[in-house]
Amino acid sequence: MNCRSILVIALALGMNTTNAWSAAADNSTLEQGRYLVRAADCAACHTQEGGTPYAGGRPMETPFGTVYGTNITPDKEYGIGAYSADEFYHVLTEGELPDGTQLYPAMPYTAYHSIPRQDSDAMYAYLMSLKPVNIEAPETDLSWPFSMRWTLNFWNLMFADENPSNAKDESDEWQRGRYMVDVLGHCGECHTPRNALGAVDTDQHLQGSVIAGYEAPSLTPDKLAARGWTPAALQTFLREGISEQGSMYNEMYLVFHHSTRYLRDEDLKAMSLYLMGEDPPDARVVDAGHSASVDSPGRRHYLNVCAGCHGAQGQGVPHVAVAMKGNTTLRLDRARNLVKVIHDGIDAQKFSGFERMQAMPGFADKLSSAEIAELVNYLRQSWGGLDETIDAAAVDELTSNSEE
Amino acid sequence: MTTEQSKAVAIPTRPLNVTINGEAQPVEDIPEELMMLDYLHEYRNLTGTRFGCGRGMCRACTVIVDEPDGSSEEVRTCITGAHYFDGKKIRTVEGHAQRDDEGHVETLSTVQQHFLEHFSFQCSYCAPGFVNAATVLVERLQRQPIARSQLEGTISEALESHICRCTGYVRYFEAVRDAVLKTPGTTKEAS
Repeated sequence: MNCRSILVIALALGMNTTNAWSAAADNSTLEQGRYLVRAADCAACHTQEGGTPYAGGRPMETPFGTVYGTNITPDKEYGIGAYSADEFYHVLTEGELPDGTQLYPAMPYTAYHSIPRQDSDAMYAYLMSLKPVNIEAPETDLSWPFSMRWTLNFWNLMFADENPSNAKDESDEWQRGRYMVDVLGHCGECHTPRNALGAVDTDQHLQGSVIAGYEAPSLTPDKLAARGWTPAALQTFLREGISEQGSMYNEMYLVFHHSTRYLRDEDLKAMSLYLMGEDPPDARVVDAGHSASVDSPGRRHYLNVCAGCHGAQGQGVPHVAVAMKGNTTLRLDRARNLVKVIHDGIDAQKFSGFERMQAMPGFADKLSSAEIAELVNYLRQSWGGLDETIDAAAVDELTSNSEE
Repeated sequence: MTTEQSKAVAIPTRPLNVTINGEAQPVEDIPEELMMLDYLHEYRNLTGTRFGCGRGMCRACTVIVDEPDGSSEEVRTCITGAHYFDGKKIRTVEGHAQRDDEGHVETLSTVQQHFLEHFSFQCSYCAPGFVNAATVLVERLQRQPIARSQLEGTISEALESHICRCTGYVRYFEAVRDAVLKTPGTTKEAS
């Protein structure tokens, strides 16, 4: 046998190991599958920071313990390589593995429950076209009784079908927006409050919650408008990661990188329609210098350690630091995120195109809790239009280790 | 500018009380929005502290703040308001060498001398920031010595945020290592 024959046979064998499904899938199906996998933000949990895409391992802290995203590359040993399209659809929409093992609802199968079979098949084809990665994800470690997976059957009986119902008389665009937001995007996993058993409370759909110490703000039309959002601004924010209302940070920064920056304009438009409605409330404009004292201690702190980058008039510096004027974080009902950002800082950020924001240092060692409270009150009063104030004790509570 | 004109401009000011290189500065009314770098240049004629990026990235504008407890830290003056330093003691690059009564340099500091010996800088634009960062490091190690084996990593960590466009990093690194090793009490043989 000559070398050429060996090569031909090896190539043929190599082709055989490629999954028949993805081999059969045409390019447009794979492209559609990739789009859906991105819209569903699978990477959020199934890709470790700096790790191989979809090879798993990202830890997710929950009140019940740490859950690790699994390997969803087509590896037969540790990934989904042995799944059929039927089995994949079942896992995705029901949260149950082929062997009957129940997944923890950290996997948002309650949201994915309404993914149609056709979309599931495209996602499956795309994932099966990836290079298999032979890596085992760390084992999920939950406290008892949550370590007993069989108890999840009762959890599912109680909560699994609580997806908000389709409003049949809404437009196709609205339905598409709902699918992008509630099903694929599973936005409610963070933006809807959870009950004591960790299930999203559908009575408070998208009304805001707290995750890993930060507030995932309310996405209801009135609250969005009160924080300065318009449908167009929401679309820009999701596509670019940054808008006049500020930049994405914390968990949402990862969502932007893995997911929202890839979304098509028509889907972004549908999402903003679904979130804000056909006739969105007017975005609230805050008068400059609303009620803050010009000579307040908070303004002094601002000029001392903030204005160098954010501008003495809160105008920001392009490509360096966002404006405080119009910033949505200053306008949240609760001061939590503002306190956390000032205390902890934000790493340097990359956005679409050449847009960048410089690292913001944390001021935990520069400002006392009382000074952070004064600064936060000044920011919220002058550019947030909010009169409510917080004190040092509130800052301590938000930044204590138990809060983390 | 006449008194009437200056009143018309009405820039809000506050008195600033700061000690620079061991000398209490005259307390003056300083615009409340002024950055420290501009105060050093325009009010004190201390132009050794450099304006680089103006965004706190390059660290050419770094000065040393001396805390009451004897510790010291680097602060970037291009993005920090002058009034942040009210009541504080700072050192700028002009304050390291020993000078005679007429202000002429007599003896360089250990760090400065090693920078010269190693030809660490070329254009020198970043040098004030590196002098201050290295000085903060050497003084910290005098207070809190580290194992000799940790020295290289510690130097990298202390200097890595400073940018040198002439890429003199290796020579800066070697100069600082020499300066540390020749300063008694900064390292221990075993951890």
